[in-house]
Amino acid sequence: MRGKGNLRPGFLLVFVREVEQFRKLPVLLALTVLMPLFLMGILAVVFSQGLATRLPIAVLNLDGGDLSRSIIRTIDATPDTAVVINVSDLSEARRLILSGQVHGVLMIRDNLERDVFAGRRPEVVFFYNTQTLTAGNLTLRGVNAALAGVEGGIRLSLRTSHGEPVDIAQAALSPIPVQINPLFNPTMNYSHFLLAALLPAVLQIIVVTSTAYAVGRDVETRHRLRVLRRLGGGLWPAMFGKLLPYTLVFLFVLGISDLLLFLWFQLPLRGDRMLLLSAGLLFVLANQMFGAFLAVAMRPMALAISIGTFATAPAFGFMGIGFPRLGMTPFAYYWGEALPGTWYLTARIDQTLRGTPPDLSGKPLAVLLFMVIIFTALTALCLERNRIKRQQANHALEAVS
Amino acid sequence: MSAVIFICRMELRRILTLRPVFSVMILAVVIYSAFYPQPYRAETLRDVPIALVDLDGTDSSRAFARRLDASADVAVVAAFPDLATAEHEVFARQLSGILVIPKFFERDLLHGRASPIALYADASYFLLYSRISSAVTALAKTMGSEVEAKRLIAANIDPAIAFAATDPMPLTAIPLFNPQGGYATYILPAALVLLLQQTMLIGVSLLGTYPKEWEAEAQKRKIGPIDRVVGCLLAYFVVEVCAFAFYLIAVPYLYGIPRLGSIWLIATVSFPFILAVGGLGMLMARMLSNPVLVQMVAAGMGMPFLFMSGFSWPADAIPATLRTAALVIPSTSAINALVNVSQLGASLPEVGPHVLTLIFLAVFYCGLVLFLEARAFRYETGNGG
Repeated sequence: MRGKGNLRPGFLLVFVREVEQFRKLPVLLALTVLMPLFLMGILAVVFSQGLATRLPIAVLNLDGGDLSRSIIRTIDATPDTAVVINVSDLSEARRLILSGQVHGVLMIRDNLERDVFAGRRPEVVFFYNTQTLTAGNLTLRGVNAALAGVEGGIRLSLRTSHGEPVDIAQAALSPIPVQINPLFNPTMNYSHFLLAALLPAVLQIIVVTSTAYAVGRDVETRHRLRVLRRLGGGLWPAMFGKLLPYTLVFLFVLGISDLLLFLWFQLPLRGDRMLLLSAGLLFVLANQMFGAFLAVAMRPMALAISIGTFATAPAFGFMGIGFPRLGMTPFAYYWGEALPGTWYLTARIDQTLRGTPPDLSGKPLAVLLFMVIIFTALTALCLERNRIKRQQANHALEAVS
Repeated sequence: MSAVIFICRMELRRILTLRPVFSVMILAVVIYSAFYPQPYRAETLRDVPIALVDLDGTDSSRAFARRLDASADVAVVAAFPDLATAEHEVFARQLSGILVIPKFFERDLLHGRASPIALYADASYFLLYSRISSAVTALAKTMGSEVEAKRLIAANIDPAIAFAATDPMPLTAIPLFNPQGGYATYILPAALVLLLQQTMLIGVSLLGTYPKEWEAEAQKRKIGPIDRVVGCLLAYFVVEVCAFAFYLIAVPYLYGIPRLGSIWLIATVSFPFILAVGGLGMLMARMLSNPVLVQMVAAGMGMPFLFMSGFSWPADAIPATLRTAALVIPSTSAINALVNVSQLGASLPEVGPHVLTLIFLAVFYCGLVLFLEARAFRYETGNGG
């Protein structure tokens, strides 16, 4: 009896068989491990700087005086912008913007210095390209800050030249100063904001499609599903033995990407790491069960993968990182609500950047758990229904013969 | 010539009859045009909810809160007695910011001292943060210069000069091309180009991985490799011209996205782009022989492709090696060229480098396909003879 113990059907047998698959099918390993790591690597390199600094702008200086040059120097010295070229007219500046070489052009008009000190309030004009929203707004921020600094100096000198003491003049410059405190991401680091959200979004695509692929391979050939069930000695051990190896693989990939974020990009971990880990596990499981459900509910496998791709590939927009869900239309809002990624990113931002207190961190985890249960139930239901159908067909066949 | 037409017709028929190909190249194109833009339909964020912690409770502090609430960017939806309670709501994501007006806000203003206020804004979502901070700083600046001017006028300075002294050198910032800073106007023109590339890439590589029914007929007619490749490319071209017209002209029009470039210029830039993607798709089909594999590899690629084009994250901040490597993907140059032409109204010379890259890619990929096809053909006929 003991020797045969190894062959006793059960969870372990299916598990071992599935691990063997990785060795037999190198494609499977490439799809589930190498590809996500490669794609995540590319994204990490794209955002490796974290901050976009010294964005190129052009200057059209029609004044040429001391003041204009100090404006240009200050703008060049802000971290956001770099003055890369002096143009001689606006049409040249336009050409540079249209060909994408600069993000904006600062125009300093004739007699700026004279008019400023004469109190005529001459304008300084900044044309900037908001088609590329991020770059446009960053350059505006730089120009704004630099110009406010220069202007502050002028206002101070206007007052002190009228005999006002420096300290009083200084206080009078800005009657209502605003102390802005960016909560949670004080350096406005894009790698903590965008990259940290993109990596799980990539993983979501991979998990759903490759699970649909792995399960679909068994579903496509009828007897294999039956073999799987026999090996597992029942529906549940078979299902979990089949999916668990992939869960481990995906958790490994998620772990690598998290290590990259925490160690290399210095993503803060202000919340509870156990909550973060459980959210990660639930996220992977929810997506796996979604993929498995697609595979058992839809045939051929290519259709299941197509639907999975359709649901996950454009999902990043619906998860509300770039454009917050607050401003979305009802359809987009509720579609986002149905994606596991939305809730995982919520939990993730809660536990990394925000350090949300535990009493407020429960909801996304509960929703993810709910999704896991729903998709598991649906998958089991489909499998049972198929089996009953098949049994009925077999009975009918026997009756005929 | 008749050989080319024959291949083209057969290939078109395959596009329409092979279900996976049809669903990617035609069905998905239509569905995505309705589905993909959904999150961005609202264009801008309005009335971001923030809380007020007014420790002063005077006329001035209430006037500030009222005027802030009146701005389009934020809405003051709650008032809390202290910062801690308000913070709890920010953690619960009910609110995105807290404005604290300290005690003696009004008294300090009347005294002629600086009277600071504090803003705590949620920077874990950048768009929320920038909305809140720009609304509050703009209002503080406006109210500040009103106060300053009043003080100067009270000190017997001429009103005109008083106002000039508060802002001697105003900055006029003129946003070009997407003046309202709309999110859909920003992301869609680039994303649509990427969707065109991805659907075409998957479709063409799927076509290559399925067996060709016309192979026997083509051999009987003795159709050479050049005619085969040109015929196939012609078929893809016919389908994609419709898809491109739909995505680059009709869809932006339907979503109210402005278009400055002429249709002919858009077509000129699209031409090498379609050929480059077609060639790349045929090469991908040779590398990945399994149709399912094609789908899965292409599915994950979309997002990295978009970010590598340097559109949403400025190219200046992407490491130079990756920027150069990204040029082998047609969308990198095509997104920049097509967005600049259609959204900014750039002329051909202004997008010249991108178009040249696309032409080079088209020649290279299609040439490589032709070379491989010719080699396979020679091998077959050599064997056959």
